[in-house]
Amino acid sequence: MIQSVGRAARILKALGSESARLGVTELAERVGLAKATVYGLLRTLEAHQFVQQDLETGKYRLGPALLQLGNAFLDHHELRARSLLWADALAARAREAVHVGVLYGPNVLLVHHVFRPDHSVQILLVGASIPWHACALGKAIVAYLEPAQRRELLAGPLPRLTGRTLTTRQALLSELDRVVAGGVAVEDQEAIVGEAGLAAPLFDNRGAVVGAIGLAGPVEHLLPDGPAAEAVAAVKQAARGLSRELGAGRLSAPGAGA
Amino acid sequence: MDAACVRSWLGGVAARLEAERDFLTQLDAAIGDADHGINMHRGFAAVMRKLAAVGPATPGQLLRVTGRTFVSTVGGAAGPLYGTAFLQAGETLGDEGSFGPRRLLEALRASLDGVQRVGAASEGDKTMVDALAPGLAAYELELRTGGSLETAVRAGREAAAEGTRATVPMQARKGRASYLGPRSVGHQDPGATSTALMFAALEQAVLADRSQRFATGSRTRASRR
Repeated sequence: MIQSVGRAARILKALGSESARLGVTELAERVGLAKATVYGLLRTLEAHQFVQQDLETGKYRLGPALLQLGNAFLDHHELRARSLLWADALAARAREAVHVGVLYGPNVLLVHHVFRPDHSVQILLVGASIPWHACALGKAIVAYLEPAQRRELLAGPLPRLTGRTLTTRQALLSELDRVVAGGVAVEDQEAIVGEAGLAAPLFDNRGAVVGAIGLAGPVEHLLPDGPAAEAVAAVKQAARGLSRELGAGRLSAPGAGA
Repeated sequence: MDAACVRSWLGGVAARLEAERDFLTQLDAAIGDADHGINMHRGFAAVMRKLAAVGPATPGQLLRVTGRTFVSTVGGAAGPLYGTAFLQAGETLGDEGSFGPRRLLEALRASLDGVQRVGAASEGDKTMVDALAPGLAAYELELRTGGSLETAVRAGREAAAEGTRATVPMQARKGRASYLGPRSVGHQDPGATSTALMFAALEQAVLADRSQRFATGSRTRASRR
């Protein structure tokens, strides 16, 4: 490991976890390094526009080059790129917000988000990270993972996000069985009170699960009396279409039969 | 406190929510879906209509009607959370015609328990619990150290407001705002804000009730003379 690169990364993370700008002294305290070292790293990062110094206060914040990198990450993300049209179509058909996510450690990273098409104010959740066991996307993905990977995730921490989050291995195992049986994962206020989700897995040309696409919205819309049949059908269709585009054969996708 | 005082409290909450609707929505726009003010206002307007149609009722009944109306008319997290809070308070008070400061403490505690059961939030998660828990704790402490209902609701109002302000630097660990991670820092939590507003309305209702009793009391004495 290159020590200075690690230190620079810690500085960027420290700046990213504060809304306020930080001075050299504060930063040095937070990352546990000498002020001179932090100053040198900041000057280098600033030269590459990874950080910016406020001229008035002398404090530092994240710089514009990070936004460009973030956008590049999303642009080069094949799943995201290919999901754009399918996600738009799904949102228009179901009149709800669409999320597309991939598994990143024990969390689902949202790589695409289409707003609920009702002109209401919504907040963009691209980049958000949600514990897998609390959301439909995560359950849809994990249900189709290799047994070893699945075991590892089930053994990890399963934090409670609402009173309805499934937090035991046993409860989640039966839930994952239900996902496979129905070809769709259901989230009933397990991540956010009042909010539900429906999601189906996405497969690549090897038949491996690479992510999930789904709807997120008010529980009374998506689960009026159990999962809304039309919404489930729309999610499954979008997932099948997108999987085919990713190279999955008609038969290689385990969820394709439903 | 009797049914009239509870009605005056709920009326005060409705008035404050109307006045603060845009402010709450603005707070929510920073870290949520910008619907908290609208949802709360719509919910309490429905509660007011429902309560107007309810004839003579006990405090507990009024709070239960409020909770049920909230659950059925308010979307998002606010409906189930505030609905549970009012419902639990109403259940605790049963059908007593009036209740004292100790019973109010039990009702508030039942509300907090209900909210935590539904939302699984603790203090420091940047939610309504950050106003409700300290408000309740300050109310209880004031009562236990010899305070009156009036001083206890004031202590509750102050602690709830302080708890709300303390949500600003927090990173959200529950609710949609938690999806934003570090981006949730630096914004006041809308749910804590609306809870603090309910404590303020509670103090106002208690003080109004006392001065009214005082006025009626002196009138009664005068007429006796």
